[in-house]
Amino acid sequence: MANMVLFGVLWVVISLLGEWGVTAWINSAPNGAGPYFGTASNLGVIGAGAFDFLLWVAVPIFVFVVLMLVFSMIRFRVKKGETANEAKNQTRVNKTFIGIWVVASILVNILIWLHPNASGLEQVFAAQKITAKEHPLIVDVTARQWEWIFSYPQYGISQAVNSQGNDVLYLPVNRPVKFVLQSFDPFHTYDYQIDVIHSFWIPGFGVKQDVVPGETRTLVLTPTQITSTEKNPMVRVQCAEDCGPGHPYMEANVHVVSASAFAQWAKAQAAGGS
Amino acid sequence: MAQRASSVEVKTSTPVAPDRRMMPPVLRALLFAAIGFVVLDALVVLLDYSPQSPYISQTGAVAGWFGALVGWLLGIGGYEHIIKPMLGYDDPGYKQVGWRRFFQLADDHKVIGVQYLVFSTGTFLIAGLVAMAMRFQLMSWQPTIFQYPQSYLNAVGIHGTLMMFTVATVAMFGGLGNYMVPLMIGAKETVFSKASGIGVWLVPAGVLTVAFSPLLGAWTTGWRGYEPLAASDGVGMLYYYLGVFALTTSSLIVALNLVTTILFKRTKGLTWNRLPLFVWGILTVSLLTVIWFPEIQTTFLLALTDKMALLNMFNGLGHALGFSEFFWLFGHPEVYIVVVPALAMWNEIIPVMTRKSLFARPMAVLGLVFVMMLSGMVWAHHMFTNMRYSEMLPFSFFTEMISIPTGFAYLAAIGTIWNSRMRLTTPMLLVLMSMFNFLIGGLTGLFVADVPANLQLHNTFFVVGHFHFTIIGGMVFSWMAAMYYWLPKFSGRTYNEFWGKFGAIWVFVAFNATFLNFFVLGLHGMNRWVSVYPKYLQPENFWTSIAAFFLGAGFGINLIHIVWAWVKGPKVQENPWQAKTLEWQTSSPPPRYNFEELPVVVAGFYNYGEGAPEPVIVAKQVGTQA
Repeated sequence: MANMVLFGVLWVVISLLGEWGVTAWINSAPNGAGPYFGTASNLGVIGAGAFDFLLWVAVPIFVFVVLMLVFSMIRFRVKKGETANEAKNQTRVNKTFIGIWVVASILVNILIWLHPNASGLEQVFAAQKITAKEHPLIVDVTARQWEWIFSYPQYGISQAVNSQGNDVLYLPVNRPVKFVLQSFDPFHTYDYQIDVIHSFWIPGFGVKQDVVPGETRTLVLTPTQITSTEKNPMVRVQCAEDCGPGHPYMEANVHVVSASAFAQWAKAQAAGGS
Repeated sequence: MAQRASSVEVKTSTPVAPDRRMMPPVLRALLFAAIGFVVLDALVVLLDYSPQSPYISQTGAVAGWFGALVGWLLGIGGYEHIIKPMLGYDDPGYKQVGWRRFFQLADDHKVIGVQYLVFSTGTFLIAGLVAMAMRFQLMSWQPTIFQYPQSYLNAVGIHGTLMMFTVATVAMFGGLGNYMVPLMIGAKETVFSKASGIGVWLVPAGVLTVAFSPLLGAWTTGWRGYEPLAASDGVGMLYYYLGVFALTTSSLIVALNLVTTILFKRTKGLTWNRLPLFVWGILTVSLLTVIWFPEIQTTFLLALTDKMALLNMFNGLGHALGFSEFFWLFGHPEVYIVVVPALAMWNEIIPVMTRKSLFARPMAVLGLVFVMMLSGMVWAHHMFTNMRYSEMLPFSFFTEMISIPTGFAYLAAIGTIWNSRMRLTTPMLLVLMSMFNFLIGGLTGLFVADVPANLQLHNTFFVVGHFHFTIIGGMVFSWMAAMYYWLPKFSGRTYNEFWGKFGAIWVFVAFNATFLNFFVLGLHGMNRWVSVYPKYLQPENFWTSIAAFFLGAGFGINLIHIVWAWVKGPKVQENPWQAKTLEWQTSSPPPRYNFEELPVVVAGFYNYGEGAPEPVIVAKQVGTQA
């Protein structure tokens, strides 16, 4: 009984300390980005919220099991010089303990499935339902081995490139963007339909979507911070699905800029005729 | 040891045939394999002759491989022990004694178990060295030892393939399972002992095929071998499919053999309620293997055909995601094939070391069985970034639910260690470490099972950290615990307690220092399958690599210690842990047919304390042999 009380007190105290530490960690960056650095878009904030909530859930579970292992190791160990006789307590069943364990594990799993999983997904799904009223920016993304090609049909830009001729993605802040994702090789001489699976990932935006050959997929998100690859290397387009020898090099720079700067850039790109 | 083996020889060999000197089986197997390759390849050239075609084409390499495999199996002993008896000749018996019997076809499940363990350990070293090379590359953000990304990706693929199909799936299942299960159920041998003896030799064939596959052309798909990427990869891809085919066939034979043995060869009184935990683990794993391995073998044969004959099954013209779906349908049960023996092993060792009855035994068994049943319903969580929205909710649901039966292993273990009299030996320490590591593996699973978070974490180092915590942290640590625990059984010798603990703590610290970093790296935007990466990630990668080198050295320390203890360690009395399961009721190492008289079981094996019934009667001690 004394062991149980001691264990209970330790569990509560260490768990509280853990929760306090985790909360401090989470709040060490804006948007609860703490350990979760990709919160520069609306979808990333949803993911970060889920991650943070799960951290809070995981702390007491982690402390319970680890404390149990360490506590038993210290408290119930046969010390040097003692004979290793059989334990006095030989409990084979404890219905209360088993019952609490089973019910608690079911409840915790249902809880985290509902929130943050289902509730977060609902927000993600809702964000995908974009109407023309919201004036989404449409960016056609073509993935090929090994290049990202961005075109802006609303602005007459067929392939956005920077001054060095590298593909570049410019986005206006706080305006929904609809990425239309396809995987094929427009430059291939005869086999342009065939390509492999890529994954369109902007780590700073906290979300990725696979680009599958033969299919057209979309991803709608809203960038929420003015930033760029130069300022924050997390904000870059990076292929996240193994796509062959050029996979590590399949990245592109990203600039999230103000609405007026974007308009200016789009005008110059369209005039550049690339 | 030699004495016993020779006495067996007298029983089984027929004195009719004169004793001819035979070429060492392994050399003969290599020779037959070469002949088989040349013959089958020549046949392909003959059937499809064109003056321009090279002598070895893609088709020729594949046909030749099958020829080589048949030659290899015949040469290792299949000719004498399988083909000739089928034609009516007498089986000449197994002549090799001493260490030589490990280098030929065997029908003794203990020899086969040791063969599996040796192949697993050797492959663990090879694939581990590949991992060291990968970590060396990742110390820098620019190419160093891997000049081209495809060589790095090929190394990743070989590391993953060998670790999964030759170490994680095989060590505790083919190795410890073959050695221990018949002993633990009081059987004299396994049911399909000849098939089992052949099966083990598929492992070196598969390992060599995969390890040398880059000679035919690099492949970059990682351990999944996935289409459509495989279509544009080198011809080495074909040898990946073939090598894995050999390895999975080997495990399939283990599964069929052990599940039949467990069903039909249990000794008197060994009811399902008394079946040892480790045997329950092997039984569930065997069933999983029987269900899922044929599925992945079919898929790999489809992919092989697709790559050779351009059927467009798995690319943009067919169903580009099809291969991934088939793969993960097997791929997730596979990780439970890896980890279930480990979960069972915890609860095998804990009651013995804590001198306390196993707590909630039915729950511990139910946990294994429910993990087995649920494991086929969670696979699509590997594909959250490309699945339909409507599929996300059910698959995340089942994925989270599978933590409940997995938790039962913890429930039983924790209930047992509470108020116990724990002997903190090396195996016990390793079990506790394994529980700690697997807990981190499981809790990080909550994050990757959560779809909104998964959309960020998928294919980053966070996931790599997660599965290394479950597989190394769960399975490899339990494997090590089992090796130290059963050492007195294998050899009648034991390890040194100081060096055992030293090795365990070294590996534990280095392992956590390496793979906890992976979570941080993943959150910082480090993606998988890259040999070069943005420069800002270099400092963290550098320190991760340093820790990884310490981890590699730590495995080396444990390996040397175990081998030393096996061969030269101090002798111990029979049953040094005072365990009650049947494998301890015979001499160490056990005689050829395990028990002189079969034991009869009258109670469960995990009851301790005053008045606990003794589980075994009629256990005949064969007498300690020198």
